[in-house]
Amino acid sequence: MIKNNFLKKTSVRWVVALKEEAEVILDNYKMVLVNEKTLYPIYKNVEETHWLTLSGIGRHNSAASTSYLYTISKASKWTSWINVGIAGSGKGDYGNIYLVDKIFNQNANTTYPATMPKSNLSKMTLLTTDIPITDYSSKELIDMEGSAFFDIASKLTTKEFICIMKIVSDGPSNDIKQLNKLKIIQLVKSNLSKISEVISYYEKLSENENQIRAKPYIFYKISSNWHFSVTQRTQLENLLRRLRVFCGNDDIMELIKQCENSSFVINALNNKIKGNKVNWSDV
Amino acid sequence: MIETIYIEKKIKNHPRTKFILKKFKKARVLEIDKYAEIFNKRNQNFRIQKANPDLILAHKNDGFVLPAPEGFGIGSSENFYFSHMYNCIYDCRYCFLQGMFSSANYVIFVNFEDFDTSIKNVINKNINSKITFFSGYDCDSLALENVTGFAKHILPLFQQYPEVDIEFRTKSIQREPFMSIEPMKNVIMAYSLMPDLMSSSLDNKVPSISKRIQVISDLALRGWKIGLRFDPLIHGEDWKSLYENLLEKVYNSIPLESIHSVSVGPLRFPKKMFKDILKLYPDEPLFTSPLASSKGVVSYDEKIEEEMSSFCKNLTLKYLDNSQIFRCYA
Ligand code: SF4
Repeated sequence: MIKNNFLKKTSVRWVVALKEEAEVILDNYKMVLVNEKTLYPIYKNVEETHWLTLSGIGRHNSAASTSYLYTISKASKWTSWINVGIAGSGKGDYGNIYLVDKIFNQNANTTYPATMPKSNLSKMTLLTTDIPITDYSSKELIDMEGSAFFDIASKLTTKEFICIMKIVSDGPSNDIKQLNKLKIIQLVKSNLSKISEVISYYEKLSENENQIRAKPYIFYKISSNWHFSVTQRTQLENLLRRLRVFCGNDDIMELIKQCENSSFVINALNNKIKGNKVNWSDV
Repeated sequence: MIETIYIEKKIKNHPRTKFILKKFKKARVLEIDKYAEIFNKRNQNFRIQKANPDLILAHKNDGFVLPAPEGFGIGSSENFYFSHMYNCIYDCRYCFLQGMFSSANYVIFVNFEDFDTSIKNVINKNINSKITFFSGYDCDSLALENVTGFAKHILPLFQQYPEVDIEFRTKSIQREPFMSIEPMKNVIMAYSLMPDLMSSSLDNKVPSISKRIQVISDLALRGWKIGLRFDPLIHGEDWKSLYENLLEKVYNSIPLESIHSVSVGPLRFPKKMFKDILKLYPDEPLFTSPLASSKGVVSYDEKIEEEMSSFCKNLTLKYLDNSQIFRCYA
């Protein structure tokens, strides 16, 4: 039970273009198909901490499936969003995985992910195109989804929670025509431990943020006992956040149990803070 | 360890850009058009960025020198500030930068010469007034001196204007370039201090109070003028004895004749900023203090503020003249 609660706080959403790119990841994170009839195939694990959608190829699909996954999975503002897939590259080594730290498209829109995990993975820039490009000798990474995924994901969370990783599958000396399903599965498989390492950073990130941002448990108890206006609810939440640092839930309930209405509750909590002297040798 | 450096294309060949880049040989360098592409965009999280900030080298276009907020001065009739950098390598929990910027990346403006021009213009326009400039309002003025070299650059300008004061406010223990050059009468080396117990909880990544006092003492002995900034004043159990110990220690460690001024400043946040900071650090003990909001400002109540300020002022009066003590309200 405790473990379940702990895991629930982690929240990761994957957007992957092809089934063969996703297969190893689905296995590793024990995700299964949610329902045959969804607009885009959606997978999740039992704990509902990891969800994945297969977007198909192209920017429109990537954007649409990202928002679809957001809605279906009820992702929070502190969910980590991951896009993993293969990419062409004129600079990277075949089979290597790279973190993307600059994304641009043919409309010259450029964006930059923020605060990447400390990792041994090298970083590269990603060009997202609408049509397949054959001459990519001068480009670091090329795909057909990344920029759309990033644009939509950055409307759903802050940039620190978004990550794109690309595995070099073709390039000047590896013809794309030689790529097949088996090779793609193999490429992802051989990078799985690196992917997992990065993902554990994003799991932790969302878990921490969920913990920090969650309304104090006692907030729900108090707001169901008294009627608070919208402004008062914000006041109550802020006061409880501050109080919980030095005051247990039982003490807080004891403090307000005689209060006749919500204003008295707010006053009582305010007075408790007013009387607090921080003991700096304890912190 | 800086992992990524973003450089505005416009200044990629600037000698100062090259100088700074040499200090971070392993960093990945990305060219950008404008620093605003990376810095302070919406949808960023200051706390998460603070764990691993990147560096941005940029060109500042305007607003080089600005009037200091009211209540910031130390005796001059005209007060101005300039910031060659945004953000700070330290992480003080009461810092207003964490509420002001949504990004914790460091921005260094490399066109120092444009600061020079603006400073000279301001001096010429206020030729009949007593002026003080404050270096590094949006950063710590010296914490990254070994990377930027800003103080080293700007000091010769103030050598030309001995009647104009400049204050470097810092929590760093940076000694250079000050130990290597002749002390200047119009330079104030100002140090923010609070009792050790509070500092070790609130001044994250900052040199300890005793190390700061040691540097203050060294610079004073070398002949530099010292500013002591008990700002912000922090309330809590035993605050009186904590501040008494600190003030006694400071006044007994440095030559009193080297002290230019002392200022005491209450802890204050604009209301909106406080809300944002509280969201970032809801479990921070500082915010369990008796802080309340009034007229758009969150602070200790007036009685506490007054009691703390007077207490520190009265202790200081045992050592210094009233004319050297200022209340800071900015
Ligand atoms: S030293 Fe000053 S600028 Fe730096 S974090 Fe602390 S308060 Fe902020």
